[in-house]
Amino acid sequence: MTEYASRREFLRQAGLSAAGINLALGLPSLTRAADSGASRKQRLVFVFSPNGVIPDHFWPDAQSEQFELTRILKPLEKFKDQTLTLHGVCNKIRGDGHMRGIGCLLTGIELYPGDIQGGSDTPAGWSKGISVDQYLKDQLQADPRTQTRFGSLEFGAMVPDRADTWTRMSYSGPNQPVAPIDDPYQMFDKLYGQARNRKVLASVLDGLKEDFSRLEKMIGSEDRRILQEHLALIRDVEKELKSDSALSAKQSGVGHPIPVLTPNVEDQNDNMPEVCRMQLELMVNSFVADFTRIASFQITNSVGQPRMKWLGIDEGHHSLSHEPDSNKDAYEKLIKINTWYCEQVAHLANRLAETPEPGGDGSLLDNTTIVWTNELGKGNSHTRNNIPFVMVGGGLGWRTGRALDFKNVAHNRLLMSFCESMGHPVESFGNPDHSRGGTLPELV
Amino acid sequence: MQYVPQPVGSVRLCVLTFGVWLALGVPLAAQDSAQRNQGQAIYAKSCAGCHGDQGQGVKGTHEDPLTGDRSVVELADLIDRTMPEGEPDKCTGEEASAVAAFLHNAFYSEAARIRNDPPRIRLTRLTGTQLRQSLADLYGHFAGSASSTTERGLKGEYFTGSRPNNDKRKIERVDSTIDFDWKQDGPGEGVDAKDFSIRWRGGLKVLESGRYEIVVRSSCAFLCGLGRNEREFINNRVQSGDRTEFRKSVTLTAGRVYPIQIELYQRKRKTEQPPATISLSWVPPHSTEVLIPERSLVPVYVPPAFSLQTKLPPDDRSYGFERGLAIDRQWDESTTASAAEFAQMAVDELWPIYRQRHKNDSDENRARLRGFLTELVETAFRGPLDESSRQFYIDAQMAQAEGDAEATKRCLLVTLKSPRFLYPALDQDRSTSQRAANRLALTLFDSLPSDEWLIRLAREDKLQTADQIRQAAQRMLDDDRAHGKIREFMSEWLNLNHFTDLVKSGEKFPGFTPEIVADLKASLDASIDEIVRSDSSDFRQLFLSTRLYTTPRLQQYYGAEWKPADSSSGLSQSGTDLKNSAGLLSHPYLMSGLAYQDSTSPIHRGVFLIRNVLGRTLNPPKEAFTPLSPDLHPDLTTRQRIEKQTSPNSCQTCHLKINGLGFALENFDADGRFREKESDRTIDATGHYVTREGQPKSFRGASELAGFLASSHDVHRAFVNRAFQHFVKQPVAAYGLDQLDELTGNFQRDGFHIRRLLVEIATIAATQTESSPTKGQKND
Repeated sequence: MTEYASRREFLRQAGLSAAGINLALGLPSLTRAADSGASRKQRLVFVFSPNGVIPDHFWPDAQSEQFELTRILKPLEKFKDQTLTLHGVCNKIRGDGHMRGIGCLLTGIELYPGDIQGGSDTPAGWSKGISVDQYLKDQLQADPRTQTRFGSLEFGAMVPDRADTWTRMSYSGPNQPVAPIDDPYQMFDKLYGQARNRKVLASVLDGLKEDFSRLEKMIGSEDRRILQEHLALIRDVEKELKSDSALSAKQSGVGHPIPVLTPNVEDQNDNMPEVCRMQLELMVNSFVADFTRIASFQITNSVGQPRMKWLGIDEGHHSLSHEPDSNKDAYEKLIKINTWYCEQVAHLANRLAETPEPGGDGSLLDNTTIVWTNELGKGNSHTRNNIPFVMVGGGLGWRTGRALDFKNVAHNRLLMSFCESMGHPVESFGNPDHSRGGTLPELV
Repeated sequence: MQYVPQPVGSVRLCVLTFGVWLALGVPLAAQDSAQRNQGQAIYAKSCAGCHGDQGQGVKGTHEDPLTGDRSVVELADLIDRTMPEGEPDKCTGEEASAVAAFLHNAFYSEAARIRNDPPRIRLTRLTGTQLRQSLADLYGHFAGSASSTTERGLKGEYFTGSRPNNDKRKIERVDSTIDFDWKQDGPGEGVDAKDFSIRWRGGLKVLESGRYEIVVRSSCAFLCGLGRNEREFINNRVQSGDRTEFRKSVTLTAGRVYPIQIELYQRKRKTEQPPATISLSWVPPHSTEVLIPERSLVPVYVPPAFSLQTKLPPDDRSYGFERGLAIDRQWDESTTASAAEFAQMAVDELWPIYRQRHKNDSDENRARLRGFLTELVETAFRGPLDESSRQFYIDAQMAQAEGDAEATKRCLLVTLKSPRFLYPALDQDRSTSQRAANRLALTLFDSLPSDEWLIRLAREDKLQTADQIRQAAQRMLDDDRAHGKIREFMSEWLNLNHFTDLVKSGEKFPGFTPEIVADLKASLDASIDEIVRSDSSDFRQLFLSTRLYTTPRLQQYYGAEWKPADSSSGLSQSGTDLKNSAGLLSHPYLMSGLAYQDSTSPIHRGVFLIRNVLGRTLNPPKEAFTPLSPDLHPDLTTRQRIEKQTSPNSCQTCHLKINGLGFALENFDADGRFREKESDRTIDATGHYVTREGQPKSFRGASELAGFLASSHDVHRAFVNRAFQHFVKQPVAAYGLDQLDELTGNFQRDGFHIRRLLVEIATIAATQTESSPTKGQKND
């Protein structure tokens, strides 16, 4: 049960007219596009996939002058020049492997002691601190120049319906996990629900008016007044909705600003590719509408067990990831699984590259950096060294088309680099002990 | 000093003169009419300039219309003493009487007003409350409603192992409240103290609509579901750090039982475990935090229930009761938001229920979805769908949307914004029985017909005669939804919604804590319930009852008279009779509410008694006055101070009436405690009142006041009038000019049975669908 009236009330109090409210709530913002002409928009998207990678087929050779993509990263071929891989960045936060893998990944700080007992020693609760995506959201929302309708959108795909330390990677503060929305219809409602309602209303007001006229005949003249007042109100609303939709058709340039989702796609393992597609489409749309500058896409969860039948794999991912390297069959399947994840990243990059930056130059990808990351360096060893970090896109302004090796640095420093490059430098991020040394060198 | 109205010399002469005329047998009508003509002439010359030729008021001079409920004699007296303004000697004695007689008959009195502008049954839209209740019942039509039970508490199942598993269940019992601290010992025999889980299930009984804050305090992980077990309400599935308090607010609707479930997990771990504690509290509307009491919990299966969260704008109260008279943007937008909220619920929860129930039906051409939408729309529109409505509301919307969810949302958006839904009285094209069912649901539940049995009676045309309707009304009166509306009505009658923060001076009333206030409210609610639900349902008991509900805490504060009969339970009736009481009217909650932080307020109490209990008109004072501070007159009692402040003639026109009643309750201090003295002076609790017919009455103290009120015709009539307005939301005179008097007379002859009165009111509203302004017309 959520409150629906609050946003509208807030905006009304902020002094927006009725038409202004409609614009602010559902449609690309005219005014913001004009304002941000001076400085370019910057976007950051975190894509999470679980259970580590197969390092030998993941990491490009950082020594060589030529930057060659490995098997797993092949889907990114088209975007090689905009890709940057970072080897040697390690999650040094202490605690249970998987849980701190995802729970400390974006936060850089320990989990509270709690009662979720993982495979190792310390049972954990939630994170003790805020995650970098939520931190940046707060900073961006505090500045009217970078303020957006939502600040951050947390997407998911096949996330189990439990809130625990394996299913949450974003935290808006200590002990405050943020749940990703893994249902595209629910996300659609969040983004466009009101706009959709208005669209439906616009199309049915004629019929409603007709009903009013019909029913009016049943009652005496004295009582008709209230119905007539109501009818007059409906006509006013109708006029407004008509002018709203005319405005939106003019601005969007690409036709309907509201995306259309395939109906009746059920939340099941086999529909995962379709769900991912729908979610990424909604994400791209939300960038076009400037609903947000920060987003995350959590594919399943820590210890995630999708069965990628569409690749001919029946076993769950997590189970496979614990097989020794000597199990050639499992090894090969894990490469295929990770390649598929990379394909999702590539698909997102492609959609961003195809979409022009509204009110600016170039494409959305020029102003967006996708950070593809993982909870573990490798599944069967549970190592948190060499956490996969693959950046695609120009949002952070880093020098791309390279493979870097930092040898062995705490990932807190990478989180600090994110903050600095997004315009909000910090003295430390998460656990200060691991932030020593500051931001990582050579990125820009 | 007491002020008692004395007819001024010449008026008394006039009265005597009339008496002589009567004795001489001169026809009354002729005398009346002669007098009125005389009065009319005087009025036109000396009064119309300021008051308007029809008493409607004149902008700039005297804007308020000349209306009220004083008797002719009282009016004559008022005119004699104070009018014309500035020159009161210009119209006195016989002339004053003539003017009074004229204007009382022409436009001043209630009868005159009704005659001049006969009230009608007006077409109104759903009020906010009615919208909430209608949507709750639209949901309930599919989900089912809770069957009544006398059992209380929550069913608790205790499992060894932190995953609830029927094989591992060790203890099964009913817990009256949830408030446990098991430390490290575990909850009981057979349950592993380090690794266990508990599941509490049942229902949360809500009798008052509003915002509730649910508070769970626990050192363990837990999941709390509300409204539907799968509908997650508070998620603390991960015990983390020191966090032990979890609060969440939700709007709940009166007359419903909401399924509630709490699963607690004490998980074994390799490190030290915190001790296991849990408590379940809430903060009800206008109240303070308390453990959810046993009486608000039921330990049985309860079907899912829906409560609208969207905020709705307040409704017009200019007639003294809520009416859906205004159409504006804010309201229109709230109906859209409500429709959207309900539509989401329908897609998430109702559609799966329907699909499951109809899984063996054919789904050719989306027949199942069509069936679902048809049932939704027909319930919302309170009757069967005609062809063109079906085409628009269902077929057209389904055609626009391939997906089931989308089609459902479109259909509901348009249905719940339709005039058919929003204007319940737009049903002239429905059968008599259907219209009766619709009005019964609106009157008794503030809702639409959603129960199968009522819908069937309407469909089978078995609600045609008054007796059939009466029977249905009787059955509905036993429902929780009717209880909720009755409680709402009683709160209005007692003006309780105006008491926001009952806080008293810490110096003078130490110990008057929020917990005492919460107990007082519970006591008042239970005492009212007891009277209304009893077999005799005797209205007079509201004044005469001397056995109110109490708690050990109240006994500690107010003394031995408040000792509960049953000390083991939280709330029970008192064991002894309260001496010096006016039943509910002198209940400490009411008395505290009608008082200042450190002193009583006879004026507030008097106004309450005049307006709410006696149903008389009282205009607000022309200017605002701050009450004289007690510190300025330390040698005066409260009564003396008030008499002093309201002594000027202009004040006395109203304060004579107000003070006369308020003083009778002076024995009840600002915290509701009974006292014989104020400082060291004995309290003077004498009071008086002049009835509508001009009869003076006097009494001393609460019990005599109670006796007077219980037998007062004015009080009976006012109660019936209020009840009618609250339940039907139309003026009673619209159902016949003598309707109020008839209802009141029956009420009096029927032992003042409150429930039977409500059945009668519902029956009248269900059988009379058109205004009858001329029925029972009579002159002044």
